[in-house]
Amino acid sequence: MASEPTAATSASANGAGGAVKAGRLGAESYVRMENIRKEFDGFVAVDHVTLDIRQGEIFALLGASGCGKSTLLRVLAGFERPTLGKVLVDGQDLTPLPPYDRPVNMMFQSYALFPHMTVEQNIAFGLKQDKHSKDEISKRVAEMLGIVQMTKFAKRKPHQLSGGQQQRVALARSLAKSPKLLLLDEPMGALDKKLRSQMQLELANIIERLGVTCVMVTHDQEEAMTMAHRIAIMEAGRIQQIGTPDEIYEQPSNRFTAEFIGSVNLFEGSIDEDEKDFVTIRSPALEFPIHVGHGLTGFEGQEVAFSLRPEKVAVSKEEPGDPHNKARGIIEDVAYFGSHSVYHVRLPSGIKVMANFVNTQRWASERFTWNDEVWLSWGENAGVVLTS
Amino acid sequence: MKKTRRWLPGARWLVILPPYAWMLLFFAIPFAIALKISFAHSLIAMPPYSDLITWNGTGSPTISLNTANYLFLLTDNLYYKSYLSSLEIASISTLLCLLVGYPIAYAIARLPTSTRNIALMLVILPSWTSFLIRIYAWMGILKNNGLLNNFLIWLGVIHEPLHILHTNVAVYIGIVYAYLPFMVLPLYTNLVKLDLRYLEAAYDLGARPWKVFLKITLPLSRSGIIAGSMLVLIPAVGEFVIPELLGGPDTLMIGKVLWTEFFDNRDWPVASAVSTIMLILLLVPIVIFHHYESKELESKLT
Amino acid sequence: MSQRSGLSPGLKVMLALGFAFLYLPILSLIVYSFNESKLVTVWSGFSFKWYGELFDDAGIMDAAWVSIRIAFFTACASVVLATVAAMVMTRFLKFRGKTLFGALITAPLVMPEVITGLSILLLFVSIGMARGMTTIWIAHVTFCVSFVAVVVSSRLGELDKSIEEAAMDLGANRVKVFFLITLPIIMPALISGWLLAFTLSIDDLVVASFVSGPSSTTLPMKVFSSVRLGLSPKINALATLMILSVSIAAVFAWWLMARDEKRRQLDMQMALQQG
Repeated sequence: MASEPTAATSASANGAGGAVKAGRLGAESYVRMENIRKEFDGFVAVDHVTLDIRQGEIFALLGASGCGKSTLLRVLAGFERPTLGKVLVDGQDLTPLPPYDRPVNMMFQSYALFPHMTVEQNIAFGLKQDKHSKDEISKRVAEMLGIVQMTKFAKRKPHQLSGGQQQRVALARSLAKSPKLLLLDEPMGALDKKLRSQMQLELANIIERLGVTCVMVTHDQEEAMTMAHRIAIMEAGRIQQIGTPDEIYEQPSNRFTAEFIGSVNLFEGSIDEDEKDFVTIRSPALEFPIHVGHGLTGFEGQEVAFSLRPEKVAVSKEEPGDPHNKARGIIEDVAYFGSHSVYHVRLPSGIKVMANFVNTQRWASERFTWNDEVWLSWGENAGVVLTS
Repeated sequence: MKKTRRWLPGARWLVILPPYAWMLLFFAIPFAIALKISFAHSLIAMPPYSDLITWNGTGSPTISLNTANYLFLLTDNLYYKSYLSSLEIASISTLLCLLVGYPIAYAIARLPTSTRNIALMLVILPSWTSFLIRIYAWMGILKNNGLLNNFLIWLGVIHEPLHILHTNVAVYIGIVYAYLPFMVLPLYTNLVKLDLRYLEAAYDLGARPWKVFLKITLPLSRSGIIAGSMLVLIPAVGEFVIPELLGGPDTLMIGKVLWTEFFDNRDWPVASAVSTIMLILLLVPIVIFHHYESKELESKLT
Repeated sequence: MSQRSGLSPGLKVMLALGFAFLYLPILSLIVYSFNESKLVTVWSGFSFKWYGELFDDAGIMDAAWVSIRIAFFTACASVVLATVAAMVMTRFLKFRGKTLFGALITAPLVMPEVITGLSILLLFVSIGMARGMTTIWIAHVTFCVSFVAVVVSSRLGELDKSIEEAAMDLGANRVKVFFLITLPIIMPALISGWLLAFTLSIDDLVVASFVSGPSSTTLPMKVFSSVRLGLSPKINALATLMILSVSIAAVFAWWLMARDEKRRQLDMQMALQQG
């Protein structure tokens, strides 16, 4: 993404302003959460979380409600004091600082625009607290309005704006001070579906263009996968896995992550043959063994789970040639999604397997239907072996 | 909003101090003083009561507690009867107020949203005009040649005027009238939150309207009933103006007794004792009320 | 409650009776203030003369002026103290003595006035404070604070917390957040609280009777001493004027709110169209 660094990156309030050249990621541990633990009256909301976030990165905390992601965000913002641990941004320990002393700004889920102020005044508010000159402030406000394309609405009050417009103002307000760290709390939560997809891309573009380091919290997988450079999946106050979207999807590190993102078929079994460049797994769910085309650090007899994404499963009427990585079954359910169909196939062992079938030809879905006997097959590197 | 440790304890207390100090000084401490004076003797002096602590020559104090005031209250029929009578009159009035106020609150809660607010405002509006004057109005209505009697005689319903003014009945009417908004408001707040779907589910299951009311609406509006009742009962026990203007010589209410003791008999110690006992009697309902208020406040914050 | 088929006839009747009960006495006051006859409830003709007599009555006019002044200062002080108290109750999470504070703030709501009046007088006497307008003011503030605190707390409770958090996030410390953000937003509640305190103060009889001094007779005290002796058409005239002023104020307030509401609707439509 080669684009010109905008005026924002060079003319921000405190020199470097924490922004990188658009598209490039900077220092490795620009934002560091060290051993954060947060307890509320005995309830552990965040349990020993350590994270390093790169400068300029968009980092997502993904999880269901109650997993602790919002608490973690509030610790970064300064609204919660961690029971243990430190928060460092650009080398500075922020932990003892109140929210108004931190170079961190947040965009709230409800936008929290000041109802008695105009759009302009809302955006200018943060700058006023830092005592900039009137000229500097109006220049900056105009700049921000331009970035979010709300220049026409400068004099309006929040209740005169639609949901999408309010979001833009909230974003502009949180970026006005060129914070070293931008926090987004469920940024798309208040928008309807159509607007959501469009805004996800637009928001990510603006943030990347400005080179601001960003941590966002969401329960929406699609949002995290679309917008973030890296994702941390959280559950019960702990981090389950950190990685880029495709790492998380294609290489889940445990059952939880595999099942959390997208759909997955999980086969329980044990390692039959453990060789240097291949592994065989036997599963009671399958008639034929699973052949994995690479070695594992494991041992024979080890209990494992084999995770296989539905889109990696091929469906055919004829039996495939290989002696492994195949299964025979009856189509029990067909879910038609227009662009693809998902076949739910019942194997003789009783297990149901999901297989995606992309409808590349019109009416191709007519090929398979309920109660058809079909063969499922997959490649030797199509799945992931999970040991936890 | 979580307070971070940087909020200096000193600065915080500076904020809490003004209202706290004011209420302690002008609300709480006076009760203690009243308690102290209730143990004094009445004197023809200014102030008209004796000192509890006297210093004799050697500089050591003697504390003389005059418990006669309390004994007087506990033994003299007038006071003991007045307390009971006050509780009785206040309770009856509260019940009547509930019976009148509940249908009004219920009806307003069922109105369409736009009309609802107007109706509510109309209920509250009379209480913005002078309390005294509204009681005065009832004097004109209830007296022997007053509006009510004239109207009834004109209708031919009665031939002799009904003696209502200067009886306990007038006091009931007065209390119900004056405190009606205090009963309607909490009831309304509660009833308006009642999810109609509970009632619809009940009807769907075959219950008749009266049963639905008794078994579902009424229990669910319990907190509103309690709040409204406390808001009426507690001040009503100590009412002075209404029994004075609308009640008769045999209307015994403790507020009147206290007033008489203070202004007419100039017996401050006895008045203080009357006040202290009244306070103790009302402590239980006050605690109930405060408990309800804090819960309401907390529920608004969560 | 969502709407079903509106009110049943039984409820309609009860509502009508309820309003009749509330308003007929007030109406009777007004009607008989124009009554020629001195016997208040016997109509003998239309006349304005009692209004004339009312304005000629120096005692009543002075008392009215005393009451208005006291009410004004009571309202101002009550709003300040009550706002602070409400902020403490709703925003300060836990501190030693918070329960006691809460009790002190809410207890006056239900306390019988004879108790508060007597007790606070005894305090003034103990510290040797001369009774007069100041003591009335102090006593009034003491019980008005509770009522105003309820109004303000209610509004504060409804306020979206994230607005205050957003202000802090953008660099404003708590003091600035209060004055720049919270206060402007809750201003309508402060105004209602002010009006409430004003009304309570100007209407108070019992407490004022206990704590007033020789030259600080309030309007209710004057009215009471007159009314104790029986009905008087001058009082009817006074009553009518008071009712009139309250009604005008109420209609004005309602008109303001209706106009605001209409503007709000237009704004929202505008936002949707250009969304």
